[in-house]
Amino acid sequence: MIETQWYLLLSAAVFSIGLFGILVRDNALLYLMSVELMLNAANINLVAFSLQHGNLTGQVFALFGMALAAAEVAIGLGIILVLYRNFETIDVTVPTTMRW
Amino acid sequence: MKRPRLATDLDLAPGIAALALFGVLAAVFLTASFDAPAGFEAGLSVMDGIGYALFDLVEQSPLVTEGFLFAFLAIAVVLDAALDGALLLAKREGGDES
Amino acid sequence: MTGIYDFVPVIALLPLVSFVVALFAGKYLPKKGALAGIAATGGSLVLSLVVALTVATGKTAGYNETLYTFLEAKGAAPFSLELGVLVDPLSALMLVIVSLISFLVHVFSLGYMNDEGETGLPRYYAGLGLFSFSMLAFVFASNILMAFMFFELVGLCSYLLIGFWFREAGPPSAAKKAFLVTRFGDYFFLVGVVAIFATFGTGAFAGSESFPHLAEQALHGEHAVNTFLGLGEQAWFTVIGLLVLGGVMGKSAQFPFHTWLPDAMEGPTPVSALIHAATMVAAGVFLVARMYGFYALSPTALGVIAFVGGFTALFAATMGIVKQELKQVLAYSTISQYGYMMLALGGGGYVAAVFHLTTHAVFKALLFLGAGSVIIAMHHNENMWDMGGLKDRMPVTYWTFLAGSLALAGIFPFAGFWSKDEVLYETLIHGLGESPLLLGGYAMGLLAVAFTGFYTFRMVFLTFHGKPRTEVAEDPEPVRWNVKGPLVALGVLATTLGAINMVPIKKLTGAHIDYLHQFLDAGPEAFLTNVHHYGELLENPAFAGYGAADIGTSGLLISAGLSLGLALAGAGLAYRLYNVPEPVEHTDRLGRVKTLLMHNYYQDEFQVWLATGLTVPLANVANTFDQGIIDGVVDGISSASRLAGRGVRRIQTGVVRNYAALLTLGLVLLVAFFGVTGGWF
Repeated sequence: MIETQWYLLLSAAVFSIGLFGILVRDNALLYLMSVELMLNAANINLVAFSLQHGNLTGQVFALFGMALAAAEVAIGLGIILVLYRNFETIDVTVPTTMRW
Repeated sequence: MKRPRLATDLDLAPGIAALALFGVLAAVFLTASFDAPAGFEAGLSVMDGIGYALFDLVEQSPLVTEGFLFAFLAIAVVLDAALDGALLLAKREGGDES
Repeated sequence: MTGIYDFVPVIALLPLVSFVVALFAGKYLPKKGALAGIAATGGSLVLSLVVALTVATGKTAGYNETLYTFLEAKGAAPFSLELGVLVDPLSALMLVIVSLISFLVHVFSLGYMNDEGETGLPRYYAGLGLFSFSMLAFVFASNILMAFMFFELVGLCSYLLIGFWFREAGPPSAAKKAFLVTRFGDYFFLVGVVAIFATFGTGAFAGSESFPHLAEQALHGEHAVNTFLGLGEQAWFTVIGLLVLGGVMGKSAQFPFHTWLPDAMEGPTPVSALIHAATMVAAGVFLVARMYGFYALSPTALGVIAFVGGFTALFAATMGIVKQELKQVLAYSTISQYGYMMLALGGGGYVAAVFHLTTHAVFKALLFLGAGSVIIAMHHNENMWDMGGLKDRMPVTYWTFLAGSLALAGIFPFAGFWSKDEVLYETLIHGLGESPLLLGGYAMGLLAVAFTGFYTFRMVFLTFHGKPRTEVAEDPEPVRWNVKGPLVALGVLATTLGAINMVPIKKLTGAHIDYLHQFLDAGPEAFLTNVHHYGELLENPAFAGYGAADIGTSGLLISAGLSLGLALAGAGLAYRLYNVPEPVEHTDRLGRVKTLLMHNYYQDEFQVWLATGLTVPLANVANTFDQGIIDGVVDGISSASRLAGRGVRRIQTGVVRNYAALLTLGLVLLVAFFGVTGGWF
């Protein structure tokens, strides 16, 4: 068996990559992809602990998480469409009307 | 269409926060001590277990798989709702569903 | 009739009712509120006489009850604020005086105001009614807080009545000056009232729980009181006495707060007679007499009172000799005579002061009403140099005015002779006793007698004798019974009132005819306001320590002869200079001294300078400090927070990435912190 730390390290790495994408990217679609990466990192974590405890609940939760990620992407794409309609661009640094 | 290139025109400074977070998390995980992973019985099939649970034959598998059933049902509802939501957001004024 | 004391508040409430009637219904009444006022003050007079008679002869010769308590705390440190009624010989006597003069002035006003066709009369009679109410309530006040309340109220009424003819320039200015100068003194009075309550917990005037008695016990060491400023008990009581004296000096127009009284002559003459001659200015002297058990404990306070009184008597008398207007001479005469009363109080002559208060009220009101009659006749021209020869044309006015003048100058056997002589005698024997400071006051008072005789008779001769100097004086307007009636009544009193306390005759023959002295001694022992109690306090070396030297009957006759002689000398000089067919301004021979006296020793200019040259710059400095520093600090705090807010809100840039970056940073720091403190690494 591979020890649990390595799974957790993998999960942390994927999460940080996703976070890096959120902090750096300015294209809305790539933004959504980074969010997906973060969600999947959480799934890896869940499955790793399911193995560690010997309980299938972790895998159920991970399944749920995947489905929710898909749903969220669907809605996110819809929002990006509306954003494009209102601001003529999908650059996330342009819509700044909700500010001081 | 050009092949994908590595993006070089980005402002990479905020990314340092992500690297810092990775560093902190790695430090925590690698220095934590875990018990030996208690895996599952060898040779068991999770898919068989789900199938038995679907047909109400839970005794056939030693795995506890009823949670998956609920997950499937809930996912079905949620995905359906998400689809409708996406369609609503995408609809133009006076337009038709596509 | 013990039930009569329940009606004592009615004495004050009747004029209050006439105030309300005149104010709201005056314009519908035929005499614009005069008859209501006459009825009310007449009723008060009758009740006051009955009360005085009860005090003099009845078995229950006094009354000291609380009508209404605002606030009371019992226990270890008792404290009470209340309204109450105190009837003892002094207040009964003063009630009679005030209601009598008020009644006569109301009758006189029918002639002075109604018959002359004045407008705004409901306001006038309302003012008189309110004043009578306040003064009467002040007289029977049982504690110093209530006395202070009504003290201020009479000041307000004085302001309203002096400024009666407010559409001209003079009266409103004079009213403001009167109010401000007396208010300045009342500031010290208020501090004194608070000090009395803080020290003794009570402001009651009479009884064993009164503050004079508590002060006496404190000096014996039997009772503990709070003192302030680290002073000993007698020193602190002196300070309280001097603080209250501030209000007394303002109200009774003593130096240096005397400047308002001559200007107050801008008001109608009946108002001058009532307020600025007989009653309101008497309030200050009455207050000292009321608190005499407290003042008798402090020789310093008594010395200050005597010296201020004697000095004022001389000071005002010197200014009276050059005045040209009839009412101005009488105003300075009032200031001077109240100086005599203060001299008497300071010199240990309590009965003498009260006697002089009584006779002065009568003859000064008489003189003012007589002046009012002359003013009506002269069509409101007050300048004495435009008069002359009126004695044949206005006989009733002349004879009553002469009676009043003889009383003022102190000529035997008129009322003023007995009272002024007793004032000077008491000061002399206490001065020769062990207090040489009083002799200075005595000397000044004696010198003022000469001046008094001079200016009084100068006034009489210029106004009534000689040949008429203008056409109006040749044919003056006749006055009616409502003017002559009060004059006759007061004239009779001025002639005969001396009989109530002829002390020299008592000392010579041993007959007990000092009725006033016996009356003032007739109150209940428990009140501790009797004359012999005050006498004991004065002679006790732990308190005032006044000794009375015994100069025998020869000394008495010499003193009486001296004051009578000086008065006759002054009158004689006036007779020689002014009782000629065509008098001239002999006072011009004084040259520059006359200018000084005509400008009232520049006291008015000095006080105006104190206000504009001294107080206004200080006030400006305080204003700058307040606006610059205090407002600046408060504004500074608000601008600091607004500036900080404007800076911090720039974090909300609206760019999602920035928010995510901040979130991540926060998360990193939090996890690192928990890791370090939780020992995760």
